[in-house]
Amino acid sequence: MTVSVRLKHQLGRFTLNADFDVPPGLTVLYGRSGSGKTTVINAVAGLLRPDEGRVVVKGQTLLDSTQGVNLPPDRRGLGYIFQEGRLFPHLSVRQNLKFSRWFRKAARSDFDRVVEMLGIGHLLDRQPGALSGGEKQRVAIGRALLGDPSLILADEPLAALDDDRKAEILPYFERLRDEVSVPILYVSHSAAEVARLATTVVALQDGHVAAQGPAAEVLGDPTVTPLGARAAGAVLAARVLAHHDDGLSELDAGGVPLFLPRVPHGIGQPIRIRIAAQEVVLSRNAPQGLSALNILPGTIEHLRAGAGPGAIVSLATPAGRILARVTQRSAKAMELAQGVTCYAIVKTVAIAPEDIGGGAG
Amino acid sequence: MDWLTATEWTAVRLSLRVAFWATFVSLPLGIFVAYALARWRFPGRQMLNILVHLPLIMPPVVTGYLLLLAFGTQGPVGAFLEAQFGVTFAFRWTGAVLAAGVMAFPFMVRAVRLSIEAVDPKLEQAAATLGASRVWVFATVTLPLILPGIIAGMVLTFAKGMGEFGATITFVSNIPGQTQTIPLAIDLLLETPGGETRAARLAILSIVLAAGALALSEWLSRRVADKVARA
Amino acid sequence: MGSSLLSRCLGWALAISFGSPIAGFADDITVFAASSMTNAMAEIEQGFEDETGHDLSVSLAGSSALARQIQQGAPADVFISANPGWMDALEADGLLAPDTRFDLLGNRIVLIAHDAPAQPVKITPDLDLASLLAGGKLAMASVDAVPAGIYGKAALEHLDLWNSVAPQVVQTKNVRAALALVALGEAPFGIVYATDAAADDRVRVVGEFPQDSHPPIVYPAAGIAGGDSKAATDFITFLQSPKARAAFARQGFAVIAD
Repeated sequence: MTVSVRLKHQLGRFTLNADFDVPPGLTVLYGRSGSGKTTVINAVAGLLRPDEGRVVVKGQTLLDSTQGVNLPPDRRGLGYIFQEGRLFPHLSVRQNLKFSRWFRKAARSDFDRVVEMLGIGHLLDRQPGALSGGEKQRVAIGRALLGDPSLILADEPLAALDDDRKAEILPYFERLRDEVSVPILYVSHSAAEVARLATTVVALQDGHVAAQGPAAEVLGDPTVTPLGARAAGAVLAARVLAHHDDGLSELDAGGVPLFLPRVPHGIGQPIRIRIAAQEVVLSRNAPQGLSALNILPGTIEHLRAGAGPGAIVSLATPAGRILARVTQRSAKAMELAQGVTCYAIVKTVAIAPEDIGGGAG
Repeated sequence: MDWLTATEWTAVRLSLRVAFWATFVSLPLGIFVAYALARWRFPGRQMLNILVHLPLIMPPVVTGYLLLLAFGTQGPVGAFLEAQFGVTFAFRWTGAVLAAGVMAFPFMVRAVRLSIEAVDPKLEQAAATLGASRVWVFATVTLPLILPGIIAGMVLTFAKGMGEFGATITFVSNIPGQTQTIPLAIDLLLETPGGETRAARLAILSIVLAAGALALSEWLSRRVADKVARA
Repeated sequence: MGSSLLSRCLGWALAISFGSPIAGFADDITVFAASSMTNAMAEIEQGFEDETGHDLSVSLAGSSALARQIQQGAPADVFISANPGWMDALEADGLLAPDTRFDLLGNRIVLIAHDAPAQPVKITPDLDLASLLAGGKLAMASVDAVPAGIYGKAALEHLDLWNSVAPQVVQTKNVRAALALVALGEAPFGIVYATDAAADDRVRVVGEFPQDSHPPIVYPAAGIAGGDSKAATDFITFLQSPKARAAFARQGFAVIAD
């Protein structure tokens, strides 16, 4: 693996013990607030010195407490996108973007490509104080990228934005993931962000890595709920089939038709959809006369009862794995168990725009 | 011009020279000490802070006397500097510069320190992640942002240099052409029978010079502030 | 004069900042005395307070500074100046209490050195003072304003030595400061009163200036008009008492007979 991270650090009352790899693509470090995600990313960046640890990026050891290696942040060759942007107020946007050029060699042609990719060409001569929150974050992305980093770090870069701005910026991160070959380590506690952006998910729970792997797998794993059962939801990969006149888009998910409110993607484009476990109703029999348009047949893989009255069921369907959250009472009454076939029902309108993203799963 | 005598013009030129050099020389040390007090934790930090402020609380004559003891030709530092570098302070304009610089140092450090503390350390962190070493972070991020504080410190030092009396006269005495700055010249004129009018003229000129320096610094500060939009 | 208001304000401001602190107004009497009397006044103060029970505050500075303060209304009861010139100025301004002025003391000026040369020096027009200085400084009180400096310059001019040493002269605010410079060794030579030289054993008297080389050094004393006249009179009387005279003589002053 090109990036491997191993850390041990005492954080107040609990010990953080993280051990994971960052493969190519966008890896989300996913966990509750206070789970140590920012500590991990700051340790990788060199802004924090963990009690023990080893960080290797593309063959270069940035940190190794056993060998006494601890490169200062300016020598780690990384790019960091902060939550608050942290653009330099006394420099123009252009100067902010080119800042790392003063200290590192990088290909000149990159500049125009990055500016075009982030759509910030018209902002180049402005001062950061004159930019909106969304524009600032786009410049922050560009600034980190133009340093020709071997790894990009992002610490909840959308947390400080309102929903509209988030929706505006998310596609840029998708572009970053799809068009740039640098791996990205992205910290988040938002299930929707994870679902939309992650190629890989590293779930941080109780101070250690509960699971790491491809996004669909980890998110579809009912035993891994770092943010609690309420945030659980699986991610399906689908392709746009058609856009209908009544405002719906029809998708093909592994042969199963899905209907969503109109999506901005073109015909034939791959998209990924997050289906919150809360929004899924299960039925033993093929439902008739329901208003819901999305009905997926599947086989129960796993059933996990929670501490409260709820239970999470993972269902294997032709479209991919789906999670459903039901009461234990219903599960018992319906005699749900591993191997049982049933139908997952999802309302079209229950799938919010932020749960829909471009790119393959 | 007959408005001031030759001696008085000499005092004016000397004052400008002393104030300029006091400002110029104490600037780098002032920035360094201000940065250390603002950003670093080290044993003796409080002692350094007190030491820096001593010239503010001690009577200027005492400060001048201490300078005489240390930097005079018989003093440990003065003798060393003279032997090694041929630099003398006793009874020379360099001593007047030293006196002015020492007396103004607390103002310089305070002004710069306040503006350093106003700089978000997260910006410095961001610069580091982009490849800037500690020195370059200071040069490209911190320094431009603390420019208003530096300008303020420089103006205060210059003004103090133009007005310093007690430490100067105690350390280097009143020597026309070498150490007789405007304040010393005014003092002498006031003690000489019939010298009040000339003293008044010198005082007015010195006020005009100080006002000019202040106006210049206000203009500079505004220009610098305009460039830095709060992100 | 148009600028007199400004100069009066300046005078006050400078007097407050640069002169010796004026004693609290709660004390019985305030005496302004030339700084060359520092050591003598300590004894005088003790003696006067013991004998009369009055509380004495003494302000010591260059006579020029003190005279200026009195001109601007400083609350002194008695003034002892190191030269008649400043007392004349106050008298001309009508600031003295009538019939209280008298000549109190005499003094000599001497050449002092930090490191004593093997033999004493005779101060005559033939003295090669410039080579004696050998590039070092000659510390004197301000030659235009302070009596010790005025006498010193007068003597050097009379002996035709002033021009050769003028570039080496370092002027201080009062005679005690000049003494301090020589005591520290910063200036190898200085011109101060004989009484000053006696007060500090870090300096050596190298030679005495001939009495005819300068105007006679006279310390006049007087009461200030508007001051506390009863206590002032008591003090002036005390200054002429045998006890006070003995104190002055111990310090090296010449006491002028009535």
